[in-house]
Amino acid sequence: MSYGLALIVENAPLLLIGLRATLLLAAVTLLSSTILGVVLGTLATAKSRWVRVLVALYVETFRDIPLIVTIFTIFFGAPFLGVPLEPFPAVALGLSLWGGANGAEIVRGGINAVPKGQREAATALGLRVWKIYLLILWPQALRAVLPAFTGLLALIIQSTSLGALVGVTEFLKAGGLIIERSTVMQGINPAFEIYGFVLLVYFSICSVLTWASRRLERRLGRASATTIRAPDASRL
Amino acid sequence: MEFDIGYLVQQMPALRAGFLLTIQISAIAMVLSVLIGLFGASMRVMRVPVLSQVFAAYVEFIRNTPLLVQLFFVFFGLPAIGLTLSLFWSGVLALTLWAGAFQTENVRGGLAAVAPGLREAARALGLTRGQYLRKIGLPLAVRTGLPSMLNTCVSLVKNSAYVSAIGLRDLAGVAFDRIASDFRAFEMLAVLLVGYLVLVLSLSAAVRVIEHHLQRPFRA
Repeated sequence: MSYGLALIVENAPLLLIGLRATLLLAAVTLLSSTILGVVLGTLATAKSRWVRVLVALYVETFRDIPLIVTIFTIFFGAPFLGVPLEPFPAVALGLSLWGGANGAEIVRGGINAVPKGQREAATALGLRVWKIYLLILWPQALRAVLPAFTGLLALIIQSTSLGALVGVTEFLKAGGLIIERSTVMQGINPAFEIYGFVLLVYFSICSVLTWASRRLERRLGRASATTIRAPDASRL
Repeated sequence: MEFDIGYLVQQMPALRAGFLLTIQISAIAMVLSVLIGLFGASMRVMRVPVLSQVFAAYVEFIRNTPLLVQLFFVFFGLPAIGLTLSLFWSGVLALTLWAGAFQTENVRGGLAAVAPGLREAARALGLTRGQYLRKIGLPLAVRTGLPSMLNTCVSLVKNSAYVSAIGLRDLAGVAFDRIASDFRAFEMLAVLLVGYLVLVLSLSAAVRVIEHHLQRPFRA
């Protein structure tokens, strides 16, 4: 047990490189999931039934297929389409498609939570559709979706660990490399200590975000009529 | 490269075995995790000292750590301190612990929704806490909590694909293996998409039927 701590201190640089990759991957994914989520979530409130059905089809597909399958499909499938992808962009793309689906559900809920009279009043005043969204619906939806997006970020950080399977040196992979190295060089197997430590680090980051999400939900919930709940962690 | 149906037919036995393994692992983990959920939620709601806190911490820990890391911890970490499980049971254990946390929350939500008067009445009639839970609390909690419990089951089936990461030959494992060895990406990815969608959608359909059935006493 004692050598575990020494090993972690000794390998701190590698762990930090891994942590940076994890956070970078999460940041990229959060950004693209938000953009995709806003676009799709808004389209999901469109008048046209066809548009709504198409969005629902997209959302259901990416939420129902295991994320690991989506990422492997992109990573191994891309070369067959003649566009080989590096591990990092492949994982970022897979996570974004999945995160976008979850984001779309949140945004759709947020827009639908805005009282109906708001849209009707805006229409009666002769505002164009894009202005109704930009000036009336999105600003009010923002309050409702903030806690859910904070929760989604925790899920995204957790799911970046899948990068380890296709060769992104993120936090989990960094831990794996340390275990491999000490097994080969020193003949010890610190898997229990290292993976335990990796679990604790993920736990510290994600529990702060989960806590923030719950707090936001309570605070904003008092002010506005509805807040949208964060997607369940079992959605991973 | 063209989509080769012949290749797919040829690989059917392996894929069927993988599909069955996926169902087998999910089914075992499903049953065990529901048992954890029933027990954990009872401890939480009855505020049993120590166990209540242990389950609260367990739920928080599982929810805030990645399933893949949990799986690696069980499969690589536990043997390092002398707790060696087979590949199959490592996968089952990790999935069970993961889903058990969510089932605990689901059942707890159901138990919390049981009218407090029922518990007071049970106490007035001299029922023990265990009797209350067995005869009144849990049957009602499972009814209200069933939709979310079944949703967790759907997620469990989906996430059973993670066990391919430790080398189990479930549906995902077989398909990834064939992509790596035979370069048959299109065929195998099609199998994966169809396979998991069939599993998830049929379970979701079952969820709707059961929900509909449960609502029967409350419909006019």
